[in-house]
Amino acid sequence: MTQQTWDEVGGVLPHDEFRAASEAVVANIEQVIEGKTATVRLALAVLLAEGHLLIEDVPGVGKTKLAKALARSIDCSVRRIQFTPDLLPSDVTGVSVYNQETHDFEFRPGAVFANLVVGDEINRASPKTQSALLECMEERQVTVDGVTYQLQTPFMVIATQNPIEMEGTYPLPEAQRDRFTARIAMGYPGPEAELAMLDGHGAADPLQELRPVSDADTVRRLIATVRNVHVADAVKQYAVDLVTATREAPDLRLGASPRATLQLLRTARAVAALEGRDYVLPDDLQALAVPVLAHRIIPTADAQLARRTTDAIVAELVHRLALPPDRKRPTGYDTPRPAAGNGRPPFEPRRP
Amino acid sequence: MIASRNIGFVAAAATLLAAAPLSSIFQQWTWLIQSAIAVAVVAGAAALTRLVRAPLWGQVLGMLAGLLLALTWLFPGGGELIAFLPTPATLAHFGELAQGSLQDMRSYGVKVPDTTPLLFISVLGVGSVAVVVDVLAVGLRRPALAGLPMLAIYSVPVAVYVDSVPALPFVVGAAGYLWLLVTDNVDRVRRFGRRFTGEGRDVDVWESSPLAAAGRRLAVVGVALAVVLPLAVPGMTGGLLDQFNTAGNGTGNGTGRPGQGGGPGRIDLFASLSGQLNQSEVADMVKVTTTEQNPFYLRFGVADELRPDGFRVRPPNGRPVNRELPDPSGRTGPGVEQRTYRATVEINRTLSMPFVPLYTDPVSFDGLNGNWSYDQNLGVVFSNRDNSRSKRYSFEYVRSTFTPAALRRARPLPAEHPIRLQQTRTPEVREVSLLVSRLVEGKSTDYDRVRAIYDYFSRENGFSYSLSTKGGTSGQEIVDFLTNKVGYCQQYAAALAWLVREAGIPARVAFGFTNGSSTNGDTYTLTNRNLHAWTEVYFDQFGWVPFDATPAYGVQGANRSAWAPDSDAPDPEPSDTAAPAAPQDPGATTGPQRDEAADKDTDAGFDPTTGAPVERAPTWPWWTVGALLAVAALLAVPALRRRALRRQRHHLPTPVAAGPAPDDGAGGSIPMTVLGVDAERARADAHAAWDELLDTLVDYRVRIDRTETPRATAERLAREAVGEDAGSATAVRLLGRAEERARYARDPLTGEPLHPALRTVRDSLAARADRRTRFLAAVLPPSVLLRWRTSLGDTSARLVTASGRLRRLLLRWNPRRLLATRRA
Repeated sequence: MTQQTWDEVGGVLPHDEFRAASEAVVANIEQVIEGKTATVRLALAVLLAEGHLLIEDVPGVGKTKLAKALARSIDCSVRRIQFTPDLLPSDVTGVSVYNQETHDFEFRPGAVFANLVVGDEINRASPKTQSALLECMEERQVTVDGVTYQLQTPFMVIATQNPIEMEGTYPLPEAQRDRFTARIAMGYPGPEAELAMLDGHGAADPLQELRPVSDADTVRRLIATVRNVHVADAVKQYAVDLVTATREAPDLRLGASPRATLQLLRTARAVAALEGRDYVLPDDLQALAVPVLAHRIIPTADAQLARRTTDAIVAELVHRLALPPDRKRPTGYDTPRPAAGNGRPPFEPRRP
Repeated sequence: MIASRNIGFVAAAATLLAAAPLSSIFQQWTWLIQSAIAVAVVAGAAALTRLVRAPLWGQVLGMLAGLLLALTWLFPGGGELIAFLPTPATLAHFGELAQGSLQDMRSYGVKVPDTTPLLFISVLGVGSVAVVVDVLAVGLRRPALAGLPMLAIYSVPVAVYVDSVPALPFVVGAAGYLWLLVTDNVDRVRRFGRRFTGEGRDVDVWESSPLAAAGRRLAVVGVALAVVLPLAVPGMTGGLLDQFNTAGNGTGNGTGRPGQGGGPGRIDLFASLSGQLNQSEVADMVKVTTTEQNPFYLRFGVADELRPDGFRVRPPNGRPVNRELPDPSGRTGPGVEQRTYRATVEINRTLSMPFVPLYTDPVSFDGLNGNWSYDQNLGVVFSNRDNSRSKRYSFEYVRSTFTPAALRRARPLPAEHPIRLQQTRTPEVREVSLLVSRLVEGKSTDYDRVRAIYDYFSRENGFSYSLSTKGGTSGQEIVDFLTNKVGYCQQYAAALAWLVREAGIPARVAFGFTNGSSTNGDTYTLTNRNLHAWTEVYFDQFGWVPFDATPAYGVQGANRSAWAPDSDAPDPEPSDTAAPAAPQDPGATTGPQRDEAADKDTDAGFDPTTGAPVERAPTWPWWTVGALLAVAALLAVPALRRRALRRQRHHLPTPVAAGPAPDDGAGGSIPMTVLGVDAERARADAHAAWDELLDTLVDYRVRIDRTETPRATAERLAREAVGEDAGSATAVRLLGRAEERARYARDPLTGEPLHPALRTVRDSLAARADRRTRFLAAVLPPSVLLRWRTSLGDTSARLVTASGRLRRLLLRWNPRRLLATRRA
């Protein structure tokens, strides 16, 4: 397998080819996961945005199935890690073992050396093991014994976890959470979807019959296409406003990071491309704000006591934040933007 | 307790200050001393009762008792115990005083002398107000309410002076009221502890508290409004009614506004005279019917106070006309003929002044109420309350005619005679003195002297009549007149009076109407053109005798008497004037005068600039129509602005090729550039359409959400606002798509029919709106108003920021701040 660094992607796909390829993947996954089109598309968007996906929900709603279906739909290297409390970091990254034939240490790549890494029940491993993922997820490289190994493109970690209130789980460290582009919840299927599931899954596991409909190369070209999606200044401004709002919201102890801004915009590009547009809309950012931002932020103790989830807080921010006006063309119904520096922020700054 | 004693003191002082307007009513200041005593006693009683912690009703009783004691002491009736304890007799005396005050109020005009009844009623009023103010300010702790009784005092001069009330006493009273308010507030704040003024604490020393700053700003705005508003509102200065010239106080420049029934002592009759004579329009003013054949002039005013700046009207003083009038029969003597006639006067509604015209020496009046008084000395009937508009009355009068021989018998007045003392006072003008001494040289009797001066104003000496001269009766103007020898009745009358006075004979200027030119039997219809002035000379035993020096040809309906014949009468026609012995010479100049009337009309019409009450009627409809039009135009501005905005957006880029650019895009590089231009145009078009849509939404009161994207807005509208109309839903989605492409995409949407879509959406919005919304959207579009409001807010915010910056800059140089830092 040729080592391909993550920056080198293929050429841009034409519009219709992009559409065909992406639709094929979505349709393929939907053979397994019924009635969850939005979730599936979001998962694909995260892949195309070169991000990592965290699927969080109660047991038994198909988290692992979604991860495996996505992995199987794309013809590329797939590794799976079952996170258990006694999993070691070296199991994830790889280890150097002594080769008696060559009388030398030889690197045995760990589970992350693949295009798609499915980390099941990631919060059942200790934080020590989880930390092994930090470097590879952000920098797409693994350093073992002083030697740095590049990972391939596409590289995506799809992790599933149970909500932290469940037994026997460790909360993910903030740094780890921040590296996941989006956290999605599966949710229970609708009644019809559940009926269909009973029909489909009764005899055999449809996952076994899933055939790949795409390959790593296509995915690389899809990613290149997504990177090419146009983002207007106003949209960038809106993304910045949105992230700034989380930093200034009185309900939040920790706002979203600049990485969040970056990933928000990348995911928005992917979503726009999946919808057949070559430009990003503020609507995309609004739709993605909760999945992309909610798992990174920490509410204040007051908000926690008031049982306000981060999802609700972010959704409220989105509802309250005005669209940035077009710089060249004020309409008169825009909020005047505070002058840089001395203006009052839209939200009261948080007191330490 | 100390605080309430302090407030009690302030309340008493404020009451006294609030009584300051009474100074404009009384001639002397006795009332102030007595009121101060009464108020002090009241305040003392209040303090005493509070010292013994009496309840509120006890305080009131104490104060009333104090007031009673003070009144008893100040106005003793004779039956008191040890000078200040009242007895029933005292109360009866008070009752008499109160009745007497009513009497005096009717009989005296302002300013009144110090009569006991008036002083009593004043002190009683001020003392009662002191009681009420004390109860309100100290007892009930509502000092703001105490302004009402204080205002009651101020209403007294307002009621007495019908138009202009001196402002200064009111300022004094207002200052007292403010003092009371401030004291109470300081006291209130003190109850919480020490007062914090911000001194030396690095607090902004210019504005020690936000409350004070707000107060100052309110004051500034209030004063500005008070100054600007009367200027802006037409008619508030009574501009149309100003023909009797501007208002002044009292005798300052001796002018007033009889058009609104101003005080009779404050009218510049000269000014009104010239104004009326110069009117281009002729308006009937008075209709008089008399049993006398060819009566002498109808008379309403007198100017007998000669100052360096001319003759002035003094405030008249007299008794009500419905009481007994003085008997004029004392003027009889040899050569004097007296006959009694009856006249009925009907005043037009255009003539409004505090006098009514009458013939000299009335005996009885019929049809005038007690508001009208007769001044025996001046011979005028005046009112301080009423005015002459639309009055109709009749009176009997005694007409005295004199023979020159009889007048010649009149002895010169003794030098200490009051009339001579007062009515011969003349300012020193050397030219006049020389002329008079030359004229009266060798004349032995007063009458001969007067005739010499009177005859001097003749055609032979070069005097002629013209209305086109400048009015004025001051010394220099008299000299000018004597030099130029051209003038009209004002100058003739004043100059004759001046010269006669200079000769040591009392003289004054009388105002009234000539007999006019339109006569119907014994009824004379008098117009503004018939207004006239002449001279009256005082002869011992005979009283005031009229002389009219104005050339008869200049005056319609002039009347010459035997003792003052027409000095211009041409010699070939001596029939009228050559008979000085005739007791009464009828209509000396009615004949030739008719011929002159036409000339005079043209002559008189040259200066129509002076406003007059007679012109009032036709102007106000124009003002009303103009104001209505202005309001309508003002109201139409938002709608017009909205329309202009819509048109501007519709024709925004004037697309050269509206749609074809994408179709033609197949060939080469030239269409590419066209496309670039076209993209900009399409973008601008989409934006304009979207702005128009937003404005339309605002107009039809559909919610606008700033957090919504164009797509979300379009979806919401398609869902909620435009209803089940599929065409509108498509249209609004198209608009949303165009706007989002224009805003966020590389290439805008081109070639779509945005304007028809816009129209569809607007129609469907209008169809769903209720009638009121539709009307408002058409007449007063909320979008335009909102925009204006926003820009106004922005501007004011900018101004506030700039002024704040300036203030901070100035504050650096604030010396008090430097001092504060040094002390710290």
